[in-house]
Amino acid sequence: MIAGTVPTSRQILRNRRRHPRDRRSLLLTALVWLGVAYFLLPLLWLAIASTKDNADLFTTFGFAFGDEFNFFNNIVDLLEFRDGAFWRWTGNTILYAGASAVGATALATAAGYAFAKFEFPGRRFIFSAILGSIMIPATALALPTYLVFSSLGMVNTPWAIIIPSIVSPFGVYLMRVYAEDSVPNSLIEAARIDGASEVRIFFSIGVRLMVPGMVTVFLFSLVGVWNNFFLPLIMLSSSDLYPLTVGLAQLQALSTGGGGSTAVFSTVITGSFISIVPLVVAFLFLQRYWESGLADGSTKE
Amino acid sequence: MRTTTAMKLGATAAVAALALTACTAPADDISNADFETAMSTPTTISMWAWAPGIENQVAMFEEAYPAIDVVLENVGQGGDHYTKVRTALEAGTGAPDVIQLEYQYVPSFVLTESLLDLAPYGANDVADQFTPWTWSQVTNGDAVYAIPQDAGPMGNLYREDILAAAGITEAPVTWDDYAVAAEAVRNQTGSYITALSGNDAGSFLGLVWAAGAAPFSYDGVETISVDLTGPATQEVIDYWQDLIDRDLVSTDPSFTDGWYQGLANGTLAGWLTAAWGPAFLQGTAADTTGLWRAAPLPTFDADNPIAGNWGGSTLAALSATEHPIVAAELAKFINTDPEATLKFATEQFLFPTRTEVLTSPEFAEQESEFYGGQRVNEIFAEISATVDTEFQWLPFQDFVAASFVDTLGKAISEKGDLSAGLAAWQDAIVTYATEQGFTVQ
Amino acid sequence: MTTTSAIPHVRRGPSPHERKLVFTAYALITPFLVVFTAMVIAPLVYAGFLSLFQTRLIGGEQFVGLANFGKALTDPVFLAGVGRMSVFLLVQVPIMLGVALFFALAIDSGRLAGSRFSRIAIFVPFAVPGVVATMMWGYLYGEDFGPIAQSFRAIGLPAPALLSDDLILFAMMNIVTWSFVGYNMIIMYAALRVIPTELYEAAEIDGAGAIRVAWSIKVPAIRPAIMLTVIFSIIGSFQLFTEPTLLAAIAPNVIGTSYTPNMYAYTLAFRFQDVNYAAAVAFILGFVIMIVSYVVQLSGRRAEARR
Repeated sequence: MIAGTVPTSRQILRNRRRHPRDRRSLLLTALVWLGVAYFLLPLLWLAIASTKDNADLFTTFGFAFGDEFNFFNNIVDLLEFRDGAFWRWTGNTILYAGASAVGATALATAAGYAFAKFEFPGRRFIFSAILGSIMIPATALALPTYLVFSSLGMVNTPWAIIIPSIVSPFGVYLMRVYAEDSVPNSLIEAARIDGASEVRIFFSIGVRLMVPGMVTVFLFSLVGVWNNFFLPLIMLSSSDLYPLTVGLAQLQALSTGGGGSTAVFSTVITGSFISIVPLVVAFLFLQRYWESGLADGSTKE
Repeated sequence: MRTTTAMKLGATAAVAALALTACTAPADDISNADFETAMSTPTTISMWAWAPGIENQVAMFEEAYPAIDVVLENVGQGGDHYTKVRTALEAGTGAPDVIQLEYQYVPSFVLTESLLDLAPYGANDVADQFTPWTWSQVTNGDAVYAIPQDAGPMGNLYREDILAAAGITEAPVTWDDYAVAAEAVRNQTGSYITALSGNDAGSFLGLVWAAGAAPFSYDGVETISVDLTGPATQEVIDYWQDLIDRDLVSTDPSFTDGWYQGLANGTLAGWLTAAWGPAFLQGTAADTTGLWRAAPLPTFDADNPIAGNWGGSTLAALSATEHPIVAAELAKFINTDPEATLKFATEQFLFPTRTEVLTSPEFAEQESEFYGGQRVNEIFAEISATVDTEFQWLPFQDFVAASFVDTLGKAISEKGDLSAGLAAWQDAIVTYATEQGFTVQ
Repeated sequence: MTTTSAIPHVRRGPSPHERKLVFTAYALITPFLVVFTAMVIAPLVYAGFLSLFQTRLIGGEQFVGLANFGKALTDPVFLAGVGRMSVFLLVQVPIMLGVALFFALAIDSGRLAGSRFSRIAIFVPFAVPGVVATMMWGYLYGEDFGPIAQSFRAIGLPAPALLSDDLILFAMMNIVTWSFVGYNMIIMYAALRVIPTELYEAAEIDGAGAIRVAWSIKVPAIRPAIMLTVIFSIIGSFQLFTEPTLLAAIAPNVIGTSYTPNMYAYTLAFRFQDVNYAAAVAFILGFVIMIVSYVVQLSGRRAEARR
């Protein structure tokens, strides 16, 4: 693909005509809606289960409400669990995911722009190294990273989660492709002729035009860290620092643990349900941005 | 207080004597003065434990020593807990001062020199407060590595109504009786008399323990022995193989949702469990109040009953602690203070290790409605007295427990050849031990 | 990456202007590179170094060269894990991506009622953490009380033992499929949206059926996007950790501590304190992923070249 000869994806999206309404297929619609049911029913179950107490959970039909509506009691149990541990976990998750996503987006935007718009020694090599690193298994890195952090006395701190999480090789890739497509070279040249500094060009032209791509990287980094279980599992030992994933897993383990366990199934389920709400909402509201951001990232090889 | 010359001389002599008798000379016994100073200096100390309600005992400790602030943390239980402790020790930072430690893990932490020898901190003075078998689990020679907290001598909890429906009106005394009862229960009611679960090495080894077998030994240095295929263990294996082959016991995994349901709805008519089991079951199968009874575990030799243990914990101070005196006192206080230990036993349902509590009326005479008014504690206290003291653990319990699931545990779950599974477990342990540089006898 | 859209310049000695540009470029990539080096390259080198030693519980540390790698390649526990993940890969990835492609094409076809809603509904599970997804499906699978078992019994069939040794791998595949179909669908859908409509409108006018247009024009046009999802799925499958770890709590007799290679590495490092062997295992896993990804990419290119 040679830049300039192919219209950018955003232009195509704009030009694209809609299909006429009368060509709807009933069979296709039925098949897809069957799929939709498969994806939504478990979440419906979760929502209903969060209104049941322990006994109803095991004795009533999964998709029917229990004998009593226990949702608010469950919420109270959840809030009172170990003096509000659930809210601490939620706060931690927001902190880790938010800080990491901002960091990852900033680093990836700067690097992606540089790879897209500048020629410099080592460009090809460095970029391949970054792309290749996507294949390294998490454990291969987590273990030595853990040892490094521990020698710096930084395990069991938020940094042990945030710093490794701001490295997003896929984000760099995405931002490079996005910068190539959405920041016209002519605009940069014109700004240079006007005497604008490179820093100014990057911030006032590059960043401005790359916003949808940045939202995409931000959201996907956010999800990545929000949903991460492995890294906090090994890095954190005090439960005050746990994110939701590790906290909920521990809560679940309490129920299945053996000697001296307490059955807190309904608390776990209510916590799980509440924990997924913020991300789902974020994705719904920002859909327009991340879809167009992905459209660019996925067209290149 | 001034240290007198005599005390100094005595100390020197004690050090010399210790240096002669032990290869690693422990520190000299701490003086009263050091103790008083340490316990009255404002100190923050951390403890990782998962025993429910242990904050009660911590509060008592803090009341007794107002200068000390204890930070209590629950980082998970069982395997997760030890992984966290190991990880923190490896990191060199963030490790607690005191940890909850199950008996079977004591040698594993002794091997890596992670535990503080509590002997210089007066631990041997409290030795005679504890049931002998729990004390033997935490000591090696003169060294004391942990203070027993609770124990799990094994007994038999069963549904009296289901057994009665099958014509069994007395708790089975021998394993032969138990097999007869199992068959009757299966044929007449469709329930299983119990489940032998392949996911937990602890309960299986408890049965082995109760058969008088001692398959493991460790000399505290680098020699171990593994004898899982010996006659006593084989007898246990053959017995259960027979019950499994005749479909008289379930092999569902324990502590899973389905297993809880089985106990609650009667498809499982009993549970061979430890002394912490009765309270646990009460919380899980509340709807069956009054239908359960407790009895000793069946035995191979009715004239000479031996009991086994499953679970139970200790508190141990880590050798990396910066406050050894405080850490040692915390472990000791929580598990020896009369009020604290009685509360453990009567309100938090941890089975006591101190003889004083075992025989106290508040504990022994508790009548349980769930068990039809039985004095369940008394029954288990009697069992506790017959637990074999010879049983030992290997110093790499994590591997022992993990490999059980892949070998014998798998054979149990699949209702396969248990002897082959046992042999595979034996091989896996020996191979691992040899690789790790142990001398295997 | 075939494109070079950097502003071209004539080859000659670097002018001050060019030097300034190179400087700016480095300034822009340096923050990323610093963290990348510290968090990826350095740990990788360190892991490589660790893997050359052996630490025994008795006897301490010694240099053993590549012995850990040799041991891993003959370690039945590790190989069993790799085997399981290979089955997972061969069964789950094609199904997941096939389903994702179907949805992407269906939604893109414009012949669907409620296509915007379906798109979001299918994507939503991606926002559900693996921990929550696994717990949730764990309850749904429950043999005694799960709605799946309840439904089977309601129509008079025996409830399937979804958490048994025979079925648990498939139970796990289902969880991963549920979580990631939407993500892959969105990537493919995004790529479909930017195919110039001229490419297939002509074919449609010629009377080609919708299915033929989808198969012979749209799918080849989004080959790069499909390849991207394939590579990501391969990487993800081999690294499976969260789902089996959490399922182990409800099916402890089926899932041991070494069910997947990643779980094995974790157990070795953090439970058995054998960081050296764990590093070697993780390295081999990385090699396996790279080789499989490379082979897949290569065969993808060959297939394209043959067209």
